[in-house]
Amino acid sequence: MDYDLQLRNVYKTYDNGTPAVIDFNIDVEKGEFIAFLGPSGCGKSTTLRMISGFETVTKGDLLIRGNRVNDQLPEKRPTSMIFQNYALFPHMNVRQNVRFGLEVKGTPKVEADAKVDGILEKLDLLGIADLATTRLSGGQRQRIALARSLVVEPDILLLDEPLGALDANLRKSIQNELKLLQHDLGITFVFVTHAQSEALALSDRIVVMNAGRVEQISPPRELYTRPSSNFVARFIGSNTIIPGTVQRDKDDVVTLDTAFGLLSGSNRAGHSASAGDKMSIVLPAEAVDLVPSDVDAAKIRADFGSNTIHCTIARLQIVGHIMQMVVQLENGEMLDVEGHVDKYRDRLKAGGTAFLAWRSAAATVIDS
Amino acid sequence: MESNVLKPILAVYVALFVLFLYGPFIVLGILSFQQGPEGGPQFPIIEWSTYWYRHLFGMVPPSRIAPLPVGEALIRSLILAFMTMVTATVLGVMAAQAFRRRFRGAGVVFYLIVLGMMVPGVLTGLGTSLLANNVLDIERHWYTTAFVAHVVYTFPFAFLVMLAILNRFDSSVEEASWSLGVSPIRTFRKVTFPLIFPGVLSAMLFAFTLSFDEFPRTLFASGRDQTLPLAIYGTFSVEIHPNIFAFGVMTTLFSFALLAVYGILMGLSVRRAKKMAMQEEIA
Repeated sequence: MDYDLQLRNVYKTYDNGTPAVIDFNIDVEKGEFIAFLGPSGCGKSTTLRMISGFETVTKGDLLIRGNRVNDQLPEKRPTSMIFQNYALFPHMNVRQNVRFGLEVKGTPKVEADAKVDGILEKLDLLGIADLATTRLSGGQRQRIALARSLVVEPDILLLDEPLGALDANLRKSIQNELKLLQHDLGITFVFVTHAQSEALALSDRIVVMNAGRVEQISPPRELYTRPSSNFVARFIGSNTIIPGTVQRDKDDVVTLDTAFGLLSGSNRAGHSASAGDKMSIVLPAEAVDLVPSDVDAAKIRADFGSNTIHCTIARLQIVGHIMQMVVQLENGEMLDVEGHVDKYRDRLKAGGTAFLAWRSAAATVIDS
Repeated sequence: MESNVLKPILAVYVALFVLFLYGPFIVLGILSFQQGPEGGPQFPIIEWSTYWYRHLFGMVPPSRIAPLPVGEALIRSLILAFMTMVTATVLGVMAAQAFRRRFRGAGVVFYLIVLGMMVPGVLTGLGTSLLANNVLDIERHWYTTAFVAHVVYTFPFAFLVMLAILNRFDSSVEEASWSLGVSPIRTFRKVTFPLIFPGVLSAMLFAFTLSFDEFPRTLFASGRDQTLPLAIYGTFSVEIHPNIFAFGVMTTLFSFALLAVYGILMGLSVRRAKKMAMQEEIA
């Protein structure tokens, strides 16, 4: 298998001894859209800057298309970077900005003209090609930055929080443009963000980072359904996490003894689970059903086994075909639950009691 | 209420400031139009005349007052100021560039550089001459020892100006350039330098004017051939005539001309940016 980008046991330690990135491993296929997601200071930007060559790799190997590039200067690497503040050259107009990389490379004039016009056209910038960049809108500046980077035909495009400075509406439309552009060009994108909605909407795989370490590398859907650590379960989506002790592990369904009785979930991440281990069960908000407490107990048991928690409905709102509820557990904890409007909608009322219920396959167990 | 008290006080303060700033020059300016050759360097003006200006350029019949011996000194000082300006600015830009990365001993080096403008000038000049004469066996000249003394003095000013400029410089534009495949040297030439150019102009102006009228460091270091400030001082020690004032007016006008050039160059780069912004408004 040929990979565009590989990080093997990559570490970054700053001069003062602070570790910024710890043992980062990933193989990125050509044309993949990868997002580095995590809170600020988690090491995602540092990793991106190591790939671009702006930061040195302290330990480990960084490979681009199979070549070790640890010691290659940034200008020699087939990568190009998009910055959060766009970093356009203020003393050049739009066309000069885009042309700059080709000019310095010594691309023949006719060829350079054609390439520049082509990319300006593609990004809908031809109309403003001769204007100064300084007073253009954020969206336009963003597209100029993209054009400037793409015109030199990098193997890998690196994007450092590129949507961070845009307002919400624009962010959505640029998100779509980015996705289309990447699909169209077929080049590898590595995207750094702290906004999970961006990562979930755009990427093929998400690398969740925390405190310098990689917590999980998965496609977006799997981060929801199979969080492999406590951090990911808390960071992604809106999950309820209930700690307990392993009672049994049967066919990858782990049953925990918790404050709410015996609860089970599937052991998707393949954690070792022996009786007596401390583990937690993760309930995604949209995987939980709410059953009125006057429903026959035998029926509930038949549908959900012992996976029920008694609760009080604090608030209930129906938006279209989605029910949004806030429920209070017996221990006082409040949690958000979301589900499709179903047959019970008339029997669920704010102030009433109900059971939170789920099938074992909908919940996940993780190490606590 | 408060402004009623404050306003007059501030007005007086500004008036005093302007008086002390321009008063000496205005007095000199007036006295430069004293009658010659009998009129002396004091009030009252016997009769208004341009005698001393003509005297400066040798356009009056010979009298007991010798022409001001400044012609060659002026050329020397201009050349010296130019050499100093170029050297100090290049060094200043390079040093400030180096300080963008925190290196080991940066603090110590910073104070070593800045010391150049703190040390008493006469001592620097004397020390430079002693070092050249006794240790290095170099002859003292305005273009050797005095030049070195001037660079040591003006370099910190250029350095500090550039440090302030580079402090506010967004280095992501340089990174963007590198990541487009442009080498650091070309990036500096095509991206960094055009953006810091206004700062470079200011550093050049500082270095030139400081060197042009530098006296204490030059006194011992300039050797046989004098620079302009020394030549002027030399004429004081004999007798003062209004021709010095006329010369002072001329050099001041020259300095203003220099400032005007600086202003025009600055204005050009600002106008360029404005022009590009205007094109946008039309579109």
